[in-house]
Amino acid sequence: MAMEPGFPKQEPSDFIFNHPSEDGEGAMETNTKEGEVAKVEFEASEIEYVSYGGEHHLPLVMNLVDQELSEPYSIFTYRYFVYLWPQLSFLAFHKGKCVGTVVCKMGEHRNTFRGYIAMLVVIKPYRGKGIATELVTRSIKVMMESGCEEVTLEAEVTNKGALALYGRLGFIRAKRLYHYYLNGVDAFRLKLLFPRPELHPSLPVMADVDDNHSSHHGPSEE
Amino acid sequence: MAEMRTDEAAFGVAISGRTSIPSGENSVWADVSPLLEAACEDLQEGELIHGDNFNLFAAMSALEIMDPKMDSGIVCTYYSLEEAIENGAAPVPISVDKTTDIRCTIDIMDHLLACEATWHKGHSLAQTVYSCLYLLRPERTLSHALLHAYCKVIHVTCKAVLSVVSDARTHEEEDLFTMAYGLPLGGGDRDERCLSMLNAVEETISRQLRACKASSSKRRLLEDIEPLQSNPDLEEGYCRALLCRLRFRKHFYHLLMSMKRPQGRGLELARKHIASCILELDGCLKSSEFLRASAHGMCEKNIQDTTASGCQAIGFDASLNCRLSAPTPPRSIKILSWVKAIEYFLKLLRDLDIVCSYSLVPSLEAALHFVIKFQKSQPDLVARSHLQLLLVQDGKLYGQIPIFAVITGAAGLPEVTNDHDIQKNEFVVQLGQLVINLLKILCTNAAWQRRKLGKMLQDWRVTYVQLELAFKNEFGEGSKPSNNELRFKIFQQILMWVEEQTYWIASRFLILGFELELYSVHDYYMVYWYIYAILIKLAEKTHLRIVMNNSTAKKKAKKKRDSFKDAGRDYQISAAVLFLQSQIYLAEGLSMMFAALRNEHIILAPQGPFNTEHEIFIQQFELLQKACLPDHVSYMSFKESTKLVNFSTLAMCDYFKEAQRIAKDVKSSFANDPDKMAELRRVEQVAEHNNIALNVICRVGAIDPSLKVTFEFSHHPFFATAIVKRS
Repeated sequence: MAMEPGFPKQEPSDFIFNHPSEDGEGAMETNTKEGEVAKVEFEASEIEYVSYGGEHHLPLVMNLVDQELSEPYSIFTYRYFVYLWPQLSFLAFHKGKCVGTVVCKMGEHRNTFRGYIAMLVVIKPYRGKGIATELVTRSIKVMMESGCEEVTLEAEVTNKGALALYGRLGFIRAKRLYHYYLNGVDAFRLKLLFPRPELHPSLPVMADVDDNHSSHHGPSEE
Repeated sequence: MAEMRTDEAAFGVAISGRTSIPSGENSVWADVSPLLEAACEDLQEGELIHGDNFNLFAAMSALEIMDPKMDSGIVCTYYSLEEAIENGAAPVPISVDKTTDIRCTIDIMDHLLACEATWHKGHSLAQTVYSCLYLLRPERTLSHALLHAYCKVIHVTCKAVLSVVSDARTHEEEDLFTMAYGLPLGGGDRDERCLSMLNAVEETISRQLRACKASSSKRRLLEDIEPLQSNPDLEEGYCRALLCRLRFRKHFYHLLMSMKRPQGRGLELARKHIASCILELDGCLKSSEFLRASAHGMCEKNIQDTTASGCQAIGFDASLNCRLSAPTPPRSIKILSWVKAIEYFLKLLRDLDIVCSYSLVPSLEAALHFVIKFQKSQPDLVARSHLQLLLVQDGKLYGQIPIFAVITGAAGLPEVTNDHDIQKNEFVVQLGQLVINLLKILCTNAAWQRRKLGKMLQDWRVTYVQLELAFKNEFGEGSKPSNNELRFKIFQQILMWVEEQTYWIASRFLILGFELELYSVHDYYMVYWYIYAILIKLAEKTHLRIVMNNSTAKKKAKKKRDSFKDAGRDYQISAAVLFLQSQIYLAEGLSMMFAALRNEHIILAPQGPFNTEHEIFIQQFELLQKACLPDHVSYMSFKESTKLVNFSTLAMCDYFKEAQRIAKDVKSSFANDPDKMAELRRVEQVAEHNNIALNVICRVGAIDPSLKVTFEFSHHPFFATAIVKRS
């Protein structure tokens, strides 16, 4: 019984160490940190969600991630995701300003078809209003409809906001990854398993999360 | 990147300005800008490079050159080690003034210790210890006996630690530790030479110390001894500061060598060196005041506090290695402070002392309990590696007991079976490998350990099924044969033990989830339910084994006598099983309490939009379910046993009271086992608190909607205590 080869660490705060993680996924961080920032007053209905629409959206995504997440990704990384899986990336706008984005991928992984959430960002003044939940829900919905059996991501064990958000969506903490980040912080591998039709003959393929769920998660998010 | 072979250099013009990096034999410097510009024009905006080999890995490996956040090459002081040395970054001697030279040498020693601790804590060797330019060019320090001896002992120590960790292979998830490509480890010298150098400088400094302490009358006799440095007021302080640092290195090296001796033969000696190491580290700490005072205002302030004096150490540059030795993360890392480094070494020494004090009890159960207990203090990689090498050497327990004998011992078989040829059976061989792997896995960090244990469950299960099949093939389904009774007995008892051991691993797997914070409060009720289901099976198997062992022993003792009187004893429940029983009641009580709280809507179950509790159950217990642990347990059976639970039914079943009662009763059987006693006390406490909480909930829960129930682990690491409050 040979041990698995180890995987290198990733550093969330400054630089990606250029290695895939254990499962061949990238050194992505999913981050929804809180901050002491004056909130913007707005109605949930004022937020417009759009699917990734082409190269003109790329600078918006890049700026947002650069600004809010600590890892600098090269343009290749962004293009890798948004060109191969444009249908899994979404942007949130408020009065024409891009305030949040989600970037994902999906593919075969050890005989399962699996979705992966790579980046999730909402700028600080807009947090706590369900935008991140809405963005990630849209991506997960597409993954589900595309035949994914499960969705995974990694989050720092200290990122309580992200852990709570994904917990509400039904993710479990499948593994702890020791010293995953170079600063010594561990990560959780979060996983969401979709129901198999044969186990739930009565369950609709997509639970009614489609239209009005942003209000479900409203102020409780963070 | 900038270096191109001659045939490709046609694209650019050689740069004349920078001469510090010489061209190699087959290379010259060339300007690649025109090539890059041409390449850029080839790719239109919005175009993506397509290729089979351009995957996420490749995309993320791409760097934006000249972006200081990404391009490690531009964030460094020097372009090469030679350039750094030419620029005087690591002078030998460090200063022509003897006093300054000694002061700076001590700073280097201290910073190296901080680097070494940082390395042990999981950073790369190249960016910690080998950020020391003196270590990278060992021959340069030849003229400086003190610094040279110290650097040498660091070399051999790093080599020894590295070999322990890589031999143990407990570091899969801590892989940066063993990356040492291209570093001058060990320096090619024989290790003994390093010790004699170290002894020589220690001897000289002890004489210097004696000389400076001697009264003026005696001083004349000792006049031929040249003092350590030029300021007589500082002589004693510097001598002492150096001596404890040198002696610590000497004992630490001896300690590593003693622990390396086979079959634990060096453990006793190792403990003596551990005691000396602790003493010398204490001396180092005490020297701090003197060093701070004497260095005051003389040097650049050390912001990271990696030295006792508070001065910045000379001769270190971590950025240099970013490019010298791959693979190294392209950024500098935070080195531990000197005080934290000493704390780290003290903990390491205490952990190693625990390892050395283990008396190598020839039983698997004892070894397993020892590892579990050892892990509770969260020892770091180096200590865990040492333990693992002690436990498993040459495929034997402690390098002494063949693994088959370990198995027969664990299964309660008499010693005569140790050489039975059943050990050649391929599934018995396989089982032996599983036992070795189990011991090794238990020495890894908790996160890795849980994953490996989870995967291993299936191997144990498969081996069990294969063994059982082999057993049935050999003996048929019928009663035991008369001709090969011993072989039958061995098979039978090993099978029973394998099941018991598998449930033990399963319980460990589930319990580790608490330590790793993998469960949310909402998962607790299914987790405790599963722990309850596993512990019941574990208790059942343990009971069977004990009963069988007793009957074997008895038969042996009084073969001829009619042991009618003792027949009742077989049905008595042993203390080991009662111990488990107290935990079983506790787990069951907690799971039922959670079920009632949910069924009575005091705790609201979360309902995600994408899946149900059923999927959560599948995910949490996937590995156990795959291995049929236990058989016939499923989400359905879980729901069946929890869906009707409410406060009135709960009040009738005194799970917590039972747990408390059994824990109290069984204590007398474990008077000589402090660990089991402590666990029983914890169980008693949790059970008592939960019983009170449950009474409150049952009384007022249904009528008071403001009741808030939270859980904490104040009395037990994995059995939660309920806290009831009115909000």
